[in-house]
Amino acid sequence: MSARFSPFDRKKIFYGIILAVVSVYIFKLFQMQILAHAQFDAKSSDNSIKAIEQIALRGVFYDRNLQLLVENTPAYTVRITPADYDTTLNRKIETVLDLESGFISNMLYKNRVYSKFIPLRAKRGSDFSAIAWIEENKEHLPGVDYVIEMQRGYPDSVMGAHVFGYSKEISPQQLKKEEQYYQPGDLIGSIGLEKKYEKDLRGEKGYDYILVDSRRREVGKYKNGLNDVPSQKGKDLVLSLDGELQRIAEVELNGRAGAVVAIEPATGEVMVLASSPQFDLNQFSYVTPRDYLRQLLNDPLKPQYNRATMSAHPPGSTFKLLCAIAALDLGVITPSTTLFCGGSFNYGRSFKCHGSHGSLNVIQAIEKSCNVFFYQLIFKIGLDNLKSYATRFGFGKKLGIDINEEMRGLIPNSAYYEKIYGKNWPQGILVSLGIGQGEINVTPLQLANYCALIANNGKSFVPHLVKGYLDENKKFHSYKYKQVNVGIKQSVFDVVKEGMFLVVNGAGTATHVRINDIQIAGKTGTAQNPHGKDHALFVAFAPYGNPKIAVAVLVENVGFGATWAAPIAKKIIETYVRRSMPKKTEHVEKNKIEVQQGAEIFAD
Amino acid sequence: MRINYELNDRFDLTIFLSASLLVIIGLFAIYSSTQNTITQKGNFDKQLISWGISLFVFFFIFALPTKLLKLTAVPAYVLSILLLLVVLVIGRRIGGARSWIALGGFSFQPTEFAKLATILFLSHFLSRSETDLDNLKDIFIALAIGMTPIALIMLEPDLGSSFVFIGVILALLFWKGISLFGLAVVLSPGIVAVASLFGPIYFAVAIGLVIVILFYFKKDIILSGSILALNIASGFFVDNIYNILSPHQQRRIQTFIDPNADPLGSGYNAIQAKVAIGSGGFFGKGFLHGNQTQLQFIPEQWTDFIFCVIGEEFGFIGSIFVIILFLILFLRILRLASFAKNEFLSLVIIGILAVFFVHFLVNIGMAIGILPVIGIPLPFVSYGGSSLLINMALLGIILNIYRSRKEST
Repeated sequence: MSARFSPFDRKKIFYGIILAVVSVYIFKLFQMQILAHAQFDAKSSDNSIKAIEQIALRGVFYDRNLQLLVENTPAYTVRITPADYDTTLNRKIETVLDLESGFISNMLYKNRVYSKFIPLRAKRGSDFSAIAWIEENKEHLPGVDYVIEMQRGYPDSVMGAHVFGYSKEISPQQLKKEEQYYQPGDLIGSIGLEKKYEKDLRGEKGYDYILVDSRRREVGKYKNGLNDVPSQKGKDLVLSLDGELQRIAEVELNGRAGAVVAIEPATGEVMVLASSPQFDLNQFSYVTPRDYLRQLLNDPLKPQYNRATMSAHPPGSTFKLLCAIAALDLGVITPSTTLFCGGSFNYGRSFKCHGSHGSLNVIQAIEKSCNVFFYQLIFKIGLDNLKSYATRFGFGKKLGIDINEEMRGLIPNSAYYEKIYGKNWPQGILVSLGIGQGEINVTPLQLANYCALIANNGKSFVPHLVKGYLDENKKFHSYKYKQVNVGIKQSVFDVVKEGMFLVVNGAGTATHVRINDIQIAGKTGTAQNPHGKDHALFVAFAPYGNPKIAVAVLVENVGFGATWAAPIAKKIIETYVRRSMPKKTEHVEKNKIEVQQGAEIFAD
Repeated sequence: MRINYELNDRFDLTIFLSASLLVIIGLFAIYSSTQNTITQKGNFDKQLISWGISLFVFFFIFALPTKLLKLTAVPAYVLSILLLLVVLVIGRRIGGARSWIALGGFSFQPTEFAKLATILFLSHFLSRSETDLDNLKDIFIALAIGMTPIALIMLEPDLGSSFVFIGVILALLFWKGISLFGLAVVLSPGIVAVASLFGPIYFAVAIGLVIVILFYFKKDIILSGSILALNIASGFFVDNIYNILSPHQQRRIQTFIDPNADPLGSGYNAIQAKVAIGSGGFFGKGFLHGNQTQLQFIPEQWTDFIFCVIGEEFGFIGSIFVIILFLILFLRILRLASFAKNEFLSLVIIGILAVFFVHFLVNIGMAIGILPVIGIPLPFVSYGGSSLLINMALLGIILNIYRSRKEST
């Protein structure tokens, strides 16, 4: 038997070991935290490593010809780090920065849940005089500093407010969803392309590690910047917009409520997307002045509302093209079928035409925009067939353009009327649908898309505003978009397009926009407006034989489409087509255009 | 009162509440240390979920029939050895060691499971009526049972877990009643090995000590000679072990021997950890106000260095409170070891106590600069789902044994 411990002793030894270790640890903690506290505290305050976030340069916007539309410009941002800040300075700083009284305490309160070591932005885009004052009084302003940050700048006279959109400071709700990337005070795309392409535009943040002392003054770079992560610039987007055409559209709309959309038929690229009235994006590039916001909100025309993609009105006579396509494709008429117009159509009551057109075929009906022809046609097509064709051409649904602000519009079917009027809904409702009036709503974007599909014989791509992006080496990478094919016979398009050609070049409703050397095909429309004057509409494409551009124009509350909308479309088409034509013919044509301006034709 | 009495008779609230308080303190520290980091922001939520799952597992194990422990001892051990082999081949490397097995979206460390399996199997072997620790053969069998997982874990390499196993083996042998001579035989190679790390002079002194001990016990010359040879061999062998260690662990051992050799390199953590705790003072800097913590001075402060967060933000008061909670836990578990209805169950409790204690010893010792920086979490407090789960499971086993202490076999 060797020497050993009794069970009782073994337990005592375990007790002993546990108590010994705990005692040593308590003693050591006492020594560190109480006896040597001052020494450790000094060390802790002495040097600290701080990660300085480097916001990446936001990607810029180019137009289709690589003209710069949206850029970054440097601006001063004044920041407050709550951990070091002395709140008795509030009033002084608010005065210098021209902030509302109570702004800083409110900001500190809103951000109290975040770390006190993250600097908060008190003011973006500060005046230089305020920066000079901060620099002078640095010693007395603990926790106040300034940095140069980039804000959006808009170099060209193109506004494009609704397309480009703007960024806003991230909200606490968004921060909860996106906490992996954003910090309080970061900007995030709020509407338009800035929102849709946020992930492409923002790039990747970088981090600089610096050593700071107890007052968090920079002592030097941590490990000589070995651990620093450089920020990566966001992608520079190449838009399908054409800066020159966009500017023409904005100038021509001239502050009137309206919209212009132009699409390249073969590609679905949106070359113009103008909504009027505009608002000034420069006011949104940092903190938006309250007065300006109030002014925008109180404006009865609602400038922030994107009419090009969100305003839904009846398509008026522009819808006759769809009826013609549906009827020809279904075979309920042939190109030679004639119907009689005696000036009115009786269906329960009398529906008027704007003339007495006699016997005409579908091409002539489009040319003359004969209502009676289409009143009759709608009964041959049937409501649900009409809905099906309208859907194929993109009506009544979101097209999926690459900004979020988009409306579906409305195309009724029999189920829709049954819901409102019951099983035996009055068929008379159909009559006005044939000429695009009544319970039918479309957006200017949908009209442009529809016109582009007709121009390109039913084949195009989902309309989009961004072609692709440029990488660091200025190499272009294109984005892919979904192809669209409405699946309708070529012969149908030939007939309808001939009618559209005659609208401008025959005895039609828009002969005043005719140009000798550019063959424009179009269709006027007037959307009845129960609240005031009618809305003017015009859709057109050109050149007739080889369409390069399709345009839809809406001008609200002005009357006939031919008068107000068609000249805007003409100017855009002419500018675009002429730019790609040989130069020598240019001066000859200029004179002719002037002559035709101002002509008024009351047929629709 | 009667209900209360019955509850205490079947369930040890002291242990359960101490552990729960430690988890809650841990949650505060995890929140504080990760709310500022980009990659670890979700840790608080994950730990909360892990705690929920762990509580479920705890009560499940608590309710199982106690006899399962003995029945599963052998298969669990065999399985754990297999898993340790598997992890060396297909394991995922996290933080320098190949110690994780991923199954679908779920990953776990076989080492954690091996702790339990080794406790069960070793307790099983030691509690057999034929086992006699005066017989060196049985001592060597016991060592073989314990050293096999250690050898595999050293290959990952995971130094911290190896210490836990060594603690378990020593505690179980001691509790079983190994003789002083036997203890010397088991302990001396380890002491010699550690001494040899410090240099040839320390090595020589340790060998001298072994010779003195051998003279004291007056065993026969062959036995004494072979034990001396074993000690000398272990001193040389440790160099090979040292070479198996990953470079960062080698650096940490060097740093422990001389922490100021490389203050911005691997000694950096050790120094900053001490600064964090020391600067906490008596009351601490306050929740979310520790600049060492908030400015992320100490890497992995939500796992291995979590005690620094407590030390800095909750001060001496907070640190002592945590240590007292552990003290209560340990003393209570030790008390329960004598209540167990047979030797096997008593050994299991002691094995589990050793696991908790070594984690506590190494983790806090490392944070306050008494021990080298060895990556090992603080039980119940550190962030980590699988660590919390296994600790709660081990606690469940202890309370299970307590629950069934009066049942007949």
